[in-house]
Amino acid sequence: MGGDDSGLKFLIGSSAGKSAVIAGFIATHVATISGLWFGGARLPKFDFNQLNGWLALGFTNDPLLTWVVGGILHYTSGIIWGVAFALIMHPALGRFIKPLAALTPVNNYIKGVIWGVVLWIISSALWVPLLIDPLFGGGVVGPFLTKFGANGVQAMFTNLLWHLIYGVNLGLLFSPTPAAPSRGAWKASSGVAMR
Amino acid sequence: MAMRAPLIYAGLFLLGVVLLAIGAFIQPYRVGDTPGSEAGESLVALGLTFILLGIGFFLAWANPTQ
Repeated sequence: MGGDDSGLKFLIGSSAGKSAVIAGFIATHVATISGLWFGGARLPKFDFNQLNGWLALGFTNDPLLTWVVGGILHYTSGIIWGVAFALIMHPALGRFIKPLAALTPVNNYIKGVIWGVVLWIISSALWVPLLIDPLFGGGVVGPFLTKFGANGVQAMFTNLLWHLIYGVNLGLLFSPTPAAPSRGAWKASSGVAMR
Repeated sequence: MAMRAPLIYAGLFLLGVVLLAIGAFIQPYRVGDTPGSEAGESLVALGLTFILLGIGFFLAWANPTQ
């Protein structure tokens, strides 16, 4: 499964792009399935397939069609967010946060967690309040997801858990490391080398 | 420093277990889609989040490619 790209090797795939697509798909799938199982952990169920389906088709009489179309949109979004992370955010974080410059599994993991938190903020501050709330006529979603229907602030924390499941999996699976490690700590000289 | 890292990861994991236990056992929980305690479910979510972070750190640290 491994390969190299500009002196780097990846846990999955032979290039940064392929690795990002595969890692993005797996991370999206694990988070999506976990969200459907949240009820078993006494948490609100998170069904992003359905939310995306409602967003695209409105409230139709065909729940299966809504769920499938929403699922395709949701998985596509998850993969694209994964590619954006791998090709843009991952090298940029290494450039701007010096302790994260070295391409080690722990640093790669931390970058994935940071990306998960960023997506949680986007989801809670923008996506759900601005796009999902109007579907229900407004007033259903509180600011920063502090309310969602009958759920209160637990919706916000559960959304954090969902997005960290995505970020953790993405950070663990998209893990570029130097192909031939030299003695001492290896530092990425340029984020461009990632590509 | 090398041996301190897994202790920090274990600390994150334990913090998650404590939060999860408080949320799960002290607070009432939901029945079906009807939410139980807002604080309890928030603690369960936060506890699972810290457990996830701790396990993730440990897996990254234990990666043989490092």
